[in-house]
Amino acid sequence: MAFNGISTAFARCLSSLQLLFRLDRGLPQANLRLVVDGLAGALAIGLVATTPVAAQDKPSSVGLGIFTFTSGPAAAYGMPGKNAADLMIDEINAKGGIGGVPVTATYVDEAQGAQGVIAEYRRLAGDAKNQVMVAALSSATCLALAPIAEQLEVPTVGWNCDTHQLLMDGKSKYVFRPNGNTVPEFIAYAIYLLDRKPDVKTVAIINPDYAFGHDAAKIFTAALKALKPDIEIVAELYPKLGSPNYQTEISRLTTARPDVVFSNLWGADLENFVRQATPRGLFTSSQVILALGETILQRVPLPDGVIVGVLGDGWWMSPDAKANPETVKFAEAYKSRFGEYPVFPSIKMANTLIYVKAAYEVAMQKNGGKWPARAELAGAMKGSKVATLTGTVQTRADNDGLVDQIVGVTVKTSAQPFPVIGDMVRYKGDSLLPQAGQDPLAWISSLKPEFAKGLPKPGSYKIGER
Amino acid sequence: MRIILAAAAVLTLAGLAFAAPWLQFVLTLAIAKGFAALGVAVLLRAGLISIGHAMFFAASAYGAAFLARAGINDLGLLLILSVLVSALIGAIAGSFLVRYRAIFFAMLNLAVSMVFYALCAKLYGVTGGTDGMPVPIPAVFGMVFAEPAFKSILFYLSLVLMVLVGLVVHRYLDSPLGHALSAVHSNEIRLEYLGIPVWAILLIAYTISAALAGLGGAVAGFAIGRVVPDFAFWTASGHLVLIAVLGGIGGVPGAFIGALFLELLHSAAVTVTDAWNLFVGMTLIAVIMFMPQGIYGLFERKEAPSP
Repeated sequence: MAFNGISTAFARCLSSLQLLFRLDRGLPQANLRLVVDGLAGALAIGLVATTPVAAQDKPSSVGLGIFTFTSGPAAAYGMPGKNAADLMIDEINAKGGIGGVPVTATYVDEAQGAQGVIAEYRRLAGDAKNQVMVAALSSATCLALAPIAEQLEVPTVGWNCDTHQLLMDGKSKYVFRPNGNTVPEFIAYAIYLLDRKPDVKTVAIINPDYAFGHDAAKIFTAALKALKPDIEIVAELYPKLGSPNYQTEISRLTTARPDVVFSNLWGADLENFVRQATPRGLFTSSQVILALGETILQRVPLPDGVIVGVLGDGWWMSPDAKANPETVKFAEAYKSRFGEYPVFPSIKMANTLIYVKAAYEVAMQKNGGKWPARAELAGAMKGSKVATLTGTVQTRADNDGLVDQIVGVTVKTSAQPFPVIGDMVRYKGDSLLPQAGQDPLAWISSLKPEFAKGLPKPGSYKIGER
Repeated sequence: MRIILAAAAVLTLAGLAFAAPWLQFVLTLAIAKGFAALGVAVLLRAGLISIGHAMFFAASAYGAAFLARAGINDLGLLLILSVLVSALIGAIAGSFLVRYRAIFFAMLNLAVSMVFYALCAKLYGVTGGTDGMPVPIPAVFGMVFAEPAFKSILFYLSLVLMVLVGLVVHRYLDSPLGHALSAVHSNEIRLEYLGIPVWAILLIAYTISAALAGLGGAVAGFAIGRVVPDFAFWTASGHLVLIAVLGGIGGVPGAFIGALFLELLHSAAVTVTDAWNLFVGMTLIAVIMFMPQGIYGLFERKEAPSP
């Protein structure tokens, strides 16, 4: 509607330019026409804009703005998310959509940078049809969008971004993150490591050189130091994002001879690193932890015994996932459509869409079956507890999600041609997270070695035991 | 004729933003980039291509973020101070950069701006690394506004600034100082023999262009609400040069026309396709192939007296 108005006005203005320059040059009325045209155009657009939007009838479709990387290097991580969203939305629509209304998604490419993403967010938010935004993959995008979400009062659900800064002030009304944050994600690795290798002395870290890499290193180091004070960090390397060559870093790592190498490299960077480090014996000389290792299991032959995880509970082959027919169906459909089984970014996206759908259902239940407004949807997300494909997500008072953390090691099985995760542990979401409002790093430093004693042990998470 | 045309354009912009609120942000950003591209265009007059002006753009946005963190909370004051910050950095960097010409000037600008970028990204504790720093909504003459109202104020303010600054820069380019720039381009040695200090002229131009980029950066910082190191990345600098060349360096409006064209094109392309980069690139090639004078060149040629 608005677009039509704008384009008509533009056309009018352009046509008057033509008059001005080609045909009517020199004639006085040309000037007048131009001014009148400009004013008329502005007025026309104004009229279009102020046409009231019909309130809270059932719309013809539920619009979702979904923000992910669909171009550039980060698409290695973003496209599994988009694929999962496509599949999940098809599944939701096949069952009649949300409250009988089909779901349509508009994808926004985060690779265009904060400015473009904000412009797109505002454009989508301006259309009343788009009631919820699923944003975003990158923490920088989430941080940039959060204040706008609060100001425009649009429920915005972070599907992957995990910086602990996002919801730290605890004042968010419209920003939700049903997938947890960096604090539990990386403490889980410290605890698992110390359970599996209690005598570890030296640790080296190789993380990508941006906030995610530095945050993870800080959290992981703080947790290790708190739980085992005599641990020494012998190297901290931050290769730049998208680096094609890791030989220098690998040389540093092999000469430092650490007991443990920790890394949260991801995407093509992680594949590159693994391919270059394997022939140089890094995986035999040190215990390697790849925090996002699950994403490359199907692509790169990882040796046995590498500690990997899924930054949450989104492992499609976990005992809980296997016990859920929906998840099994989703994984098989994903495999047949995209040629690969889902990786954890796919599961995070699918779970987030389930979370959004649940919010619609709760909101409609609360207001007696009427179509919910944006504020009602945000209200329904507040404190909600939703069963996902791989577990449950509990929304805390600060809108951060409590999800369990699954960590394990790579093992070969006869069931799959690629390594899978074995010797798993599933830490309860709330056990690894500071209270809302507490400074996370101060909380980690206050942990005592006894803290880990009460937690489940590696190998405790098996089929049939929950 | 020109004045009427310009007035109609400004009115149309004001109307557009009123019509589609989401477009207001795009237009604010376009005007902000227009300021920076104008800075690049000033130097282009002297035949100097700076592939590093995003540094000043980012420096001023970071300046606003730091000043806001230090407790300064007034839009006018923040704008003036952050522009001064970037002008100061411009004067310092310019003092040695304007000794170079051609590719050396371009590359040294690039190098300095990438050092700045690296500092912003690496000084994790100070600048927040790649997550950046928030630029909170400041008060306007002591009045605190909610987000939508503030963004409207910012947009109309930048519209007014565009006209005022445009006029000032127009006067500057028409003054002896401004004409000396084209003289540097055509014959620098002759200029020295005439007793005109080329170094001083270029330093003044460089500082003005840094201040213009800074003004754009400050507006962009307030519009976006967050400043990240990517603001200073060399592709952003290249983007500014592109805008300046695309719009045409024949006159002040060129930079703003180029910026508006590119931002609107980008916004249109991303709504249509994932391959928006391809779309934008092809249009640019078309414009550069068929409009060597830039878009503004179209207007200019019509105005020129026939022989």
